Amino acid sequence: MRLKRFLGITLAAILAIGLLAGCSGTKGNGADTGTQKPDNSAAATSDTGGNGSDGNDPVTLKWALWDWEATAYYQPLIDAYKTAHPNVTIEYVDLGSTDYMTMLSTQLSGGADLDILTIKDIPGYANLVKQNHLEPLKGYIGEQGIDTAKYGGTVEQIQVGDEVYALPFRSDFWVIYYNKDLFDKAGVPYPTNDMTLEQYDELARKMTSGSGAEKVYGAHYHTWRSAVQLFGILDGQHTILDGEYDFLKPTYERILKEQEDGIVMDYATLKTSSTHYSGVFYNNSVAMMNMGSWFIATQIEKVKSGESQSKNWGIVKYPHPDGVEPGTTLGTITSLAVNQKSENKEAALDFMKFVTGEEGAAVIAATGTIPAITTDEVVNSISSIEGFPADENSKAALSTAKTYLEMPMHEKSADIEVILNEVHDSIMTENTSIDKGLEDMKTRVQQVLNN
Amino acid sequence: MQNETILGTRKAQKPGLKKNMKDHLVAYSFIAPNFIGFALFTLVPMIFAFVLAFVKWDGANPMDFVGLRNFSRLWGDATFHKALWNTIVYTVGVVPLTMVCALGLAILLNQKIFGRNAMRTVFFFPYVASLVAVAAVWNFIFSPTMGPVNQILHTVTGLPLEELPRWAADKDWAMFTVVLFTVWKNMGYYMVIYLAGLQGVNPELYEAAELDGAGAWKRFRNVTIPQLAPTSFFVLMILIINSFKVYDIFINLFAGADNQLNDSTRVLVYQIYNTAFRSLDYGYASAMAIVLFLLVLGVTIVQFRGEKKYGQ
Repeated sequence: MRLKRFLGITLAAILAIGLLAGCSGTKGNGADTGTQKPDNSAAATSDTGGNGSDGNDPVTLKWALWDWEATAYYQPLIDAYKTAHPNVTIEYVDLGSTDYMTMLSTQLSGGADLDILTIKDIPGYANLVKQNHLEPLKGYIGEQGIDTAKYGGTVEQIQVGDEVYALPFRSDFWVIYYNKDLFDKAGVPYPTNDMTLEQYDELARKMTSGSGAEKVYGAHYHTWRSAVQLFGILDGQHTILDGEYDFLKPTYERILKEQEDGIVMDYATLKTSSTHYSGVFYNNSVAMMNMGSWFIATQIEKVKSGESQSKNWGIVKYPHPDGVEPGTTLGTITSLAVNQKSENKEAALDFMKFVTGEEGAAVIAATGTIPAITTDEVVNSISSIEGFPADENSKAALSTAKTYLEMPMHEKSADIEVILNEVHDSIMTENTSIDKGLEDMKTRVQQVLNN
Repeated sequence: MQNETILGTRKAQKPGLKKNMKDHLVAYSFIAPNFIGFALFTLVPMIFAFVLAFVKWDGANPMDFVGLRNFSRLWGDATFHKALWNTIVYTVGVVPLTMVCALGLAILLNQKIFGRNAMRTVFFFPYVASLVAVAAVWNFIFSPTMGPVNQILHTVTGLPLEELPRWAADKDWAMFTVVLFTVWKNMGYYMVIYLAGLQGVNPELYEAAELDGAGAWKRFRNVTIPQLAPTSFFVLMILIINSFKVYDIFINLFAGADNQLNDSTRVLVYQIYNTAFRSLDYGYASAMAIVLFLLVLGVTIVQFRGEKKYGQ
């Protein structure tokens, strides 16, 4: 009897609460869709109307980013912006680098009051666009007269339909870092700016020596898919988005062979021990390492602080397939976007314009990082930073011939990336054979593409 | 006279009923804070998850009703099957081993031995230690080339390092490693539950058994085991449910910096997370979650039935 009554009341309560929750949910949605349009037009009108008039009210902007501590240019950017706009306070929200884009999407779906959003990768960007979290920028770019040609084609690469939702501020590309001391010790000539993939493999084998704690590995591949798989797209004839993956076979065969022969560290071990690529380069245990240009600034800094014992180092251009121009490499862009639901949209857009523009580029380049707007001046300013390798080859390595995005823009790039990552992991840990893995990629990606 | 008494009782009953109602309201008001919290943060999301299983939704755009398509997709999804299989293998590995170890420890530490409390603390410690920290230490100890475990095995067996198991990094040993880790980490907790159970066993039963000439094994077999049945049953159920829900242990032992599990370590909850938050396929992820829910529900129903049988 009592149980029955309790159940009755419980059910009633659940229903009531459910209804309330349901109501508030739809109300929230309704309000959102309702305000979206007026918001846009309001921003547009005040943009054309009084851009200068409300420039002095104190504004606090929240900037979503990752690795605040480890990144050299965040603080200088904020400082530089603040000298021109003393009324603006910029607070950062560090979401961490692991699964950053997933975190960001979850935060935004939960209605977090972030204003400026750093976009780490294309799949995450595609997701945010699909979810309508990002402010469309075509109109703003037109009004402000931002010249997208300066970005070296990167703006076009992140276009979705006719619209673009972010502006790049960093444009990184992959190079080979090498440890000159280890080459000197082994009496092997340094790598050059024109190496084929086979020559790179040969050189790595030549540079492998020792065992146990004294072991030197000829090369090093970090546990990212991009560090291994994407050698396959450098010939310019293949993409990882079309659902055909047989072309990756030679790449996987070469790298797994290196792993088997102890030329590179074992993928699974690196992963379970969460070994960071910088650590193995710092402590002289790898002779060469393929990595993005973002590592230049970190390496310079860590040599200064003494954390990196690989003091005598250099960079050369990425190895390329036979018959392809040297300087062909992989690229990745980091951009800024504005939250569509931001309450300080105007101020956020202005900050974005500053960071992604030429002033921002100068600040970023001064920290040894390659900005999205690259001019000869920028290249010179990076190679003239104290601590940058002095040899000519290293300087020449900063110019690229052709850059392929690690993950091109595609409506389904997030789904495809999940599959590629999973299968890559299975191949590298030898959970599956190369043939079976590539077949698996094909069936699953095609399923996504046809869905 | 009789009429009067009837009337009298009726009169007396009315305020009584009201008082009863009042008592109920007071009682409900006491459980209200907890219950409202439960309803808001557990019940509503749960109901929402059920709804989600029948739609296609990316978290922001309007939902599309797709009927049972999310469930039919599960049939052909090899990745999901692998995750389900791994979860089951893990459960089958963890549950019996944890029970045996916990019971063994409880019996040993129920004796009057020197340093009993210190030992209890030692075995309980892994349970309270931070998972992130102990997983890192564990991965270091079991590191294929530099870890002490393989170094010792290398010295003892004389086998080269390359031929020894690579533990967490080895597709064939990964599951074994994680089972071992889980048992080590959690057995202290179940040991405490068993200890409580052992304290509740009437010592007269042992005396009587001893008088009848029962040896240690027979006393264990015929007194301890049956007397502990309710405890064992409870431990069994909690273990099974926790094993099905496992996520954090796998992430910390295997996932590395990019939070990625592979075919030999992918578990159900990871697959749900991946589908919902990385692929933004909330509907399909909810369908997976419902499969997990049904599995746990099945176990719980068995538990309710079993409690009637073994609980008394």
